[in-house]
Amino acid sequence: MFLARVEKKITSTKKHNAYNGRIVFIVQPILPDGTSNGNEWVAIDYVGAGIGDIVVCGGAPGVSKSVFNLKFAPIRTLIMAVVDKINYHDI
Amino acid sequence: MKLGVVIGVVWATKKVKEINGCRMYIVQPISSKGEKKEIPLVVADPQNIAASGDKVIYVTSSDATEAFDSGFAPVNASIVELVDEIS
Repeated sequence: MFLARVEKKITSTKKHNAYNGRIVFIVQPILPDGTSNGNEWVAIDYVGAGIGDIVVCGGAPGVSKSVFNLKFAPIRTLIMAVVDKINYHDI
Repeated sequence: MKLGVVIGVVWATKKVKEINGCRMYIVQPISSKGEKKEIPLVVADPQNIAASGDKVIYVTSSDATEAFDSGFAPVNASIVELVDEIS
């Protein structure tokens, strides 16, 4: 799993059936101090995140299938939590 | 899942039977602002979603096989959504 900032929302009409009714966001992976790190990911919202939120993203093959109770779900990245606060220190 | 632009089509007559009738595109990964990221890759389009020049979302790893109606195909990248607007 990784920390990310929700940046943009994607709207679409032509999609795989598993994506019907789901909110799709572009998330930017970040370091604990909030600086961007690496390339953007596309993630499906599972907890009710909004643009600008710091979130925890992740997923593994087959997870979205059981989470959404679908027969086939070509979904890799899920937004799993909205972060309230991060406590961290350098080693 | 990642964002990309369809920049080309791959034609192949001799292929495994699981991907018969499924088009394959060359997709350039991009950022939400349209800048190129990483190197282009070949992506299957089992649901006939995309055309050349379209902005799409593709899924990689074993979840790509789930985009097929049969649920099994030897691919590791599939197009799952056509992007209308990024806001």
